[in-house]
Amino acid sequence: MHFLRCVLAEWTLVRPRLSRTRFGAWLLLLGTALVWVGRRGTDPTGVALQAGALGAVIGAAFAAGSSADRAALAIALAHPTTPFAVASGRWLAALIPAAGLTIGCSIAVGWETTAALAGLAAAAAVAGCALAAVLLGGNGAALVLFICMTIAGAVPPEALVGVAHPGAVRLTVASALELGPALWRYREIATGSAGAVLHAAAWAALGVVVASGLVRRRAWRAP
Amino acid sequence: MTDYALTLSEVCRAHALASVSLALLPGEIIGVVGQAGAGKTTLLRVAAGLLPPDSGTVQLWGPAGYAPETPVFPPALTVREVLAYYARFHANGPTRRAMVHDALELAGLAGGADARAASLGRADLHRLALAQAVLGGRRVLLLDETLSGLDPLARRDLCGRVAHLAATGVAVLLAARDLGALERLGMGRVLVLRAGRVVRAGPLASLLAERVLEVILDTPPPEPPPGFRVTAAGLEAPLAGRTPEAALALCHAHRLAVRASRVRVKSLEEIVLDAHDAPR
Repeated sequence: MHFLRCVLAEWTLVRPRLSRTRFGAWLLLLGTALVWVGRRGTDPTGVALQAGALGAVIGAAFAAGSSADRAALAIALAHPTTPFAVASGRWLAALIPAAGLTIGCSIAVGWETTAALAGLAAAAAVAGCALAAVLLGGNGAALVLFICMTIAGAVPPEALVGVAHPGAVRLTVASALELGPALWRYREIATGSAGAVLHAAAWAALGVVVASGLVRRRAWRAP
Repeated sequence: MTDYALTLSEVCRAHALASVSLALLPGEIIGVVGQAGAGKTTLLRVAAGLLPPDSGTVQLWGPAGYAPETPVFPPALTVREVLAYYARFHANGPTRRAMVHDALELAGLAGGADARAASLGRADLHRLALAQAVLGGRRVLLLDETLSGLDPLARRDLCGRVAHLAATGVAVLLAARDLGALERLGMGRVLVLRAGRVVRAGPLASLLAERVLEVILDTPPPEPPPGFRVTAAGLEAPLAGRTPEAALALCHAHRLAVRASRVRVKSLEEIVLDAHDAPR
């Protein structure tokens, strides 16, 4: 019960951020762009996946990306909470606005339950990955992840490997696309792939665990 | 048996603390002083449980509140929301709201509760740091430079609030580079740290009872008598058990033309500098 209360405490940070920072404006802008693209031919699954993944990256950036937010973690840990509860709460804080965006975009371009579920799974996986990335590298890491998701996220590894130079670069790109959270993989959730669901769940869990370790480290290193 | 609030027993931390021991009683204030890098912040962070000691034990009787030297709060939140966020870790519903209200009153922030954390000046940031530290009725406060770098009015106000908390039985471990703030508190014990070791410790009142003889001379001396040091106006020497007359007699024996003399108490700054300059 106490753990849940600590997780929900982190979630309460979302509402002020939505209304007082650019978080809300970014989500609105992203949603508008995706609906515009969706009404010009992109399939509903593609729109839902992009909404989930990109919304989660923006959510993670505003949940823990700024230097002030990361520095403030040290004081939180001087209260009766744990790094794992903080990380879980921040993951929720990144996920729920992205989930709202996914559902909103899915409704706007024509509701398909399987497409929306794929988008939600993408949001959960990318929120975990993005949270760990921003705790490590700040908003710069969020920007890199956002660009990667926008450009390469939907492309299957076979397609990129085919155009990449041979050698280590090709191997790295292929490995990243194969192992990392990627939209091409989560698209399979819409067709009932259990492996893709497990991949998303694993990334969500791994992201929260790594993020909790980074939260603890930040508390140790705080000024 | 003594009821302690916090004890540290031979606590070591690599490159920061070397076998530090202390016992803090309920209602007591201990000021931790020393130059930058002496280990003050590490000591507080170890006591708060934010850093594990390499060896030694830290024992707390009740939860401890911690206010860092550079308090940073979620910038988009107001003062009230910041406290509500931390209070959620302690309680729910009306208890939480009462907790936030009490903390705002206690830190003197009730009038500015709706100001954004990002817009606060240094004094209000330290007030907010104090307010979040006392949330949940903590009986031990670990305050890192909470009274330092403030204007005189804010410092007097915060000193009063810390002294009031101590009067209600809250134990306070306070790291301070602003020695004037500790003198203003005028109570408790002082611990001087140098390179992670306690080099001087004692009640503030007894430390401040040490006396110094100041001597004004007509001409600067070629060489000060033993135990004296040259100042802009003449000489000065700690009395350290001697009478002023005995110390003055030493000046006369060295044929120094004494124009005037006075006895004053040592400042805390001089005590800290003496402890720092003393051979290891």
